[in-house]
Amino acid sequence: MFSKVLAKTAWCAVFAFLLTGVVFAQERQPAKAKPKTTAAVSPKVIQIDIEGLQSLLAPKGKPLLINFWATWCDPCREEFPDLVMIDGRYKGKLDVITISLDDVEDIATAVPKFLAEVKAQMPAYLLKTPDESAAITMVAKDWSGSLPMTVIIDAGGKTAYQKSGKFKTDVLISEIDKVLKPKVASEQKDASPVQN
Amino acid sequence: MKRVLGLFTLMIAFAFAASAQGIAVGDTMEDFSLSGTDGKTHSLNSLKGKNGAVVMFLSAQCPVVKAYIERINAVAAEYNSKGITFIGINSNHTEDLAWVKSDAEQNFAKFPMLIDKGNKLADKLGATVTPEAYYVDAKNVLLYHGAIDNDRSGKAITDQYLRTAFDSALAGKKIERTKANAFGCTIKRLKAE
Repeated sequence: MFSKVLAKTAWCAVFAFLLTGVVFAQERQPAKAKPKTTAAVSPKVIQIDIEGLQSLLAPKGKPLLINFWATWCDPCREEFPDLVMIDGRYKGKLDVITISLDDVEDIATAVPKFLAEVKAQMPAYLLKTPDESAAITMVAKDWSGSLPMTVIIDAGGKTAYQKSGKFKTDVLISEIDKVLKPKVASEQKDASPVQN
Repeated sequence: MKRVLGLFTLMIAFAFAASAQGIAVGDTMEDFSLSGTDGKTHSLNSLKGKNGAVVMFLSAQCPVVKAYIERINAVAAEYNSKGITFIGINSNHTEDLAWVKSDAEQNFAKFPMLIDKGNKLADKLGATVTPEAYYVDAKNVLLYHGAIDNDRSGKAITDQYLRTAFDSALAGKKIERTKANAFGCTIKRLKAE
């Protein structure tokens, strides 16, 4: 009798051991069931209209750099990594925002996908307005709407620099530095000898 | 001597500034001659219809132009029969002749495509974006400049700028909106900054 009970107990123990092994093996398997999360999180892109654009054009205490772009624009995509670099370099001193002119249907797909690919962290917007002409004129009176377009607005709200077409990174950095150090630049100008 | 030189420099600067700005609505577009993808030389005056012409800056590469292919061909066909001809211009130095020719044959076969080598015409007119339309009347006076309509995607068009300009001019009425910008591809100039 005792030996039968012992045999049953032994079988139960072996069964339990095997079952535990199966469970552990399943748990230790790499997350096949769970989808792998991508390293870069897709940034949120906010849709704006012309009123939203007008509000964004007003600096919030710091100089502002705005880049107008679209995923369909080759030079826009080419210059974007340098824009990301500039955003990182001037964090806290300069507000950098991007405004996409892609279709609204791309707001949750192509636009954030590209921004994630280039690791863009600056606030991202998508402009949709039935009167693009008014929006373009609001940004710069002499701008035709060709992309990309980069504008630097000083802390006082005055346009300090604008570049229609692909920017030259060294020129853009130089223009940012000028806006960030206007007093130093003007002092140097004042101190420079007047040439007759 | 210095004064004369200074004045001369100033005059050149003004002339350059004027040419860089292009032409304005109401100005007369000078006749021009360019080589087409067909290998022949064409002029504005030889291509112009009895009610004028549209000088349309296009690109073989630009996705915005691609989105407009059907609409451009539709409006070109409709108004060609009303005496307004379309003239395609390619000023992008990044697009070679073979590419432009192939694209024109495939997408814009109903009107001539001219090659603006060295973007001289684009500079003269002040064209910077594709697509960009310059509509002149029979006397080459610029009546409308800018976008074709107000929606690149074509899904939510509420204002057909170019058609409206045509209809007004053909009816002898004042064109209410003579200029409208829209976002598009930058013309890839030979001497880009």
